[in-house]
Amino acid sequence: MAFLTPLFLLGLGALAIPVLIHLIQRERKRVVEFPSLMFVRRIPYQSVRRRRIRHWFLLLLRATAIALIVAAFARPFLQQRATASAVTGGARDIVILLDQSASMGYADHWAKARDAARGVVRDMGANDRATLVLFAKNAEENMRATSDRGRLEGAVNAAKVGSGATRYGPALKLAESILSRSPLKRRETVLISDFQKVGWTGSEEVHFSEGMTISTVSVASPTTSNLAVPSVTFGRAAFSGQERIAVTAGLSNKGDQLLKDVPVTLTIDGHEMQTERATVAPHASSSVTFKEFTLAGPNVRGMVRAGSDPLPADNAFHFVLAPSDPVSLAIVDGGDRAAASLFLSKALAIGTTPSFHVDVSSSARVSPTAFDKRAAIILNDTMFPPAGGGNVLKRFVERGGGLLIVAGDRTSWPQGEAALLPGTLGAVVDRTSGRSGSLGYLDYSHPVFEVFKAPRSGDFSAAHVFRYRALQPAPTDRIIARFDDGAVAAAERKVGQGRVIVWTTTLDDSWTDIGVKPIFLPLVHQLVRYVAHYEPATSWFTVGQVLDLAARAKDHADRIVVTPSGERISQPGAGEGNEGLLELSEQGVYEVRKPGAPTSARPESLAVNLDPQESDLSALDPAELVAAVTGHATPTAEQAAAPQEMTREEAERRQSLWWYLLMVGLMLLAIETVISNQLSRKEKFL
Amino acid sequence: MEQHVIPGARFVDPKVLARIGNLELLARTVVEGFINGMHRAPYFGASIDFAEHRGYVAGDDIRRVDWRLYARTDRYYVKQYEADTNTNLSVLLDISRSMKFASKGIAKLDYGCFIGACLAYLAQRQRDRVGAITFDNDIVTHIPPSAKHFNVVLHTLDRARPERPGNLTVPLNKMAEHFKRRGILVLISDFYEEPEAILEAIKPLRFIGNDLIVFHVLDPAEIDFGYEDASSFEDLESGEQIPVVPESLAAEYRSMIRAHIDSLTTKFSEHRIDYTMVNTAEPLDKALFSYLSSRERLMRVR
Repeated sequence: MAFLTPLFLLGLGALAIPVLIHLIQRERKRVVEFPSLMFVRRIPYQSVRRRRIRHWFLLLLRATAIALIVAAFARPFLQQRATASAVTGGARDIVILLDQSASMGYADHWAKARDAARGVVRDMGANDRATLVLFAKNAEENMRATSDRGRLEGAVNAAKVGSGATRYGPALKLAESILSRSPLKRRETVLISDFQKVGWTGSEEVHFSEGMTISTVSVASPTTSNLAVPSVTFGRAAFSGQERIAVTAGLSNKGDQLLKDVPVTLTIDGHEMQTERATVAPHASSSVTFKEFTLAGPNVRGMVRAGSDPLPADNAFHFVLAPSDPVSLAIVDGGDRAAASLFLSKALAIGTTPSFHVDVSSSARVSPTAFDKRAAIILNDTMFPPAGGGNVLKRFVERGGGLLIVAGDRTSWPQGEAALLPGTLGAVVDRTSGRSGSLGYLDYSHPVFEVFKAPRSGDFSAAHVFRYRALQPAPTDRIIARFDDGAVAAAERKVGQGRVIVWTTTLDDSWTDIGVKPIFLPLVHQLVRYVAHYEPATSWFTVGQVLDLAARAKDHADRIVVTPSGERISQPGAGEGNEGLLELSEQGVYEVRKPGAPTSARPESLAVNLDPQESDLSALDPAELVAAVTGHATPTAEQAAAPQEMTREEAERRQSLWWYLLMVGLMLLAIETVISNQLSRKEKFL
Repeated sequence: MEQHVIPGARFVDPKVLARIGNLELLARTVVEGFINGMHRAPYFGASIDFAEHRGYVAGDDIRRVDWRLYARTDRYYVKQYEADTNTNLSVLLDISRSMKFASKGIAKLDYGCFIGACLAYLAQRQRDRVGAITFDNDIVTHIPPSAKHFNVVLHTLDRARPERPGNLTVPLNKMAEHFKRRGILVLISDFYEEPEAILEAIKPLRFIGNDLIVFHVLDPAEIDFGYEDASSFEDLESGEQIPVVPESLAAEYRSMIRAHIDSLTTKFSEHRIDYTMVNTAEPLDKALFSYLSSRERLMRVR
């Protein structure tokens, strides 16, 4: 309670008036001259009665009435919270953006955020309406524009912290979209978050139009302490026909304090395997390598947990392990020269992810069964397989097998099998005279060369090409590499479900020196992985990823997905087009079962972890975000965005308590008049 | 009030005098008509107005024998004539502090002055001698009756100021010693004393046969006590203050003042003193008129 004109309270001194009326003899205040009091003197007079208060109720009524009237003149009002509704009139359309990303699980951030949201809801006027938007990586309208504060509070209460990463862009875009459709003049956005710096890149194309304001409520703690396990790596080794895995867990200390002897525990299939101690410097990373263990079978679930802190979600890292199967390849060469496939076979013998199982045979001796159970065939400077081999190869490719054709002197292709070759091979082009050729153009958007896209990720120009086969690709063929003179160096054609790539020069040291260049090994691996449809086994996913389970399993059977929280999701095999798609929204291990599968069978498991960036709790200055979104200079934007506290005059004017006090005071006076008149009639003296 | 050049002229209100002039003041006197020509004197004397015949007794002036009647009846009768005589009119005005009271308009003292002046004027017109005495608890001024003192009387009345508390006994006793010749005494006061005390004080004035006319001047507030607010009342005479709640006192007060007036009326009547209670709220001329009317009625009865 405050008063606009408190000086009027001095009028409370008027409370003494009724007391004086009762206590003081009024006739002494005014002297009336009278010729003679000869007769008056004879009349007995009980003046002492006046000095006594006889009607306490009347006195109370008078005093109360005067106090109320004085209080009315002092213009009282109830002080409201600073975040009360803005001064300007009219109903508001409010969008409450409530951050429910995983980082909000830090300490009491989520409780504070919900309190703030509830505060916004409570401060809504009768005509205001609000939309509750919960956001993490994506934003979702949780409660559409409504004036029902009960429902809004219920929605806020029901909201939970998710596992998603923080992204402000989608949420702000959604808010802008909602407010732009609003018919109301006053449009406000209240962003309640811990303002993680990683959630705002500054390049989001979000701009609030004039008239839209944004206010921020930051629940971020000034100092944070957070240890995270952002990743694990696996060292695989074969031992006695079994695969042994050594898990190395990365640790990242995002806080300002040194973390000493933090226990880091590896759990495999629910069994605690080992606990190591680690010390991590502030804002630094470390790693812990556990002892090897034998991988028994597919879908082995593992988890690394490190220490405990206010944000426990990122202290655990889940993964699923499966034995790595080697990629089986068959290299067919001419067989007329020794070690024709030496470079290829040596290159393919290196590597564990994946490992390659290579069989080399000559085209003369190759049998159709040699293509069975192969992932890819490499025709290394040799003619098309004779006899029935051609048909077998064609069927092999159409069923999804890969074919890499390394063109050289001996490479010939029958006209009837032209469908398998991406283009038409021509004569040998000799670049030995003068300046040798080199690879001039690479299609970095192609999966083969994608890994070389980044700078200093492979110098193809260092390789010299002295001869190559001219190739005239068909219009449907995709040219993925050219030489410096524009001739095609590599082209791809898809045949059935299989992939065919032709490389127009050799992959040894006869026509080019690429075999002795550093780029050779990754190039060969990339080419083979691609044509062999190699997909590395994914040990974990990140929250927010969407998986195509149908494509992953290569079937369209019905599935039941059990989320980490225990929710069962049925996924029909065939439907309206989005069947098989699963958004990974929870941290933990998803199980994918097929209906009717025996319960003893291990279900397919999908480990899902937090976005590593979510562990970085560094806070952004909310003013920066507001300025970027509203386009105003920061202070102005803040002023405009922050709900303005009502002025005292405005608060008093809205409440108009003085009116009620005055009315009550006057009513009391009227009642007092009636009562005192009745009393005075009954009594001789007042 | 309109201020005239001549001091005391304000008392002579022409309107008042017009009403008074129409009355037959002659009817006023009975035994000793005191205004020559208009008042029948109480003595038979040399006058042109025949009164009656009486039998001749030795010693009578034979010039007054009505010889014509002797011729008819052969008896000696003497003609008697009503003689016109001059008399003294003294205005006795109470100027005690209580007389300065005025609830609205005119103060009692002023009202008393008007009455005295009017009567003095009338007397002066009748060639009577006029005088005045103002008093409070003693005699303040004394103007002996004289045919030449009319202006002095008016001047004295005009100068009268209420300054001291009043008391009737002392000054009236002193006055009684002053009046050596019979005359008309007009006593104007508010009579705030017990009726018996008042009568005792007045009696000496009547010892030598003076005709006493008493005007009891009261303000309307003194009669009906129309006060509403409880106040402290101050006695103008003594200066004493008393808390008064009119609402509770008024009825009792009114009955007491009425009893006082009734008592005075009765007692003055018993002693053949003309008593008139005048209200300062009523017109001055009306008060005089009512008095003179009653006086005239009384004379006729006689």
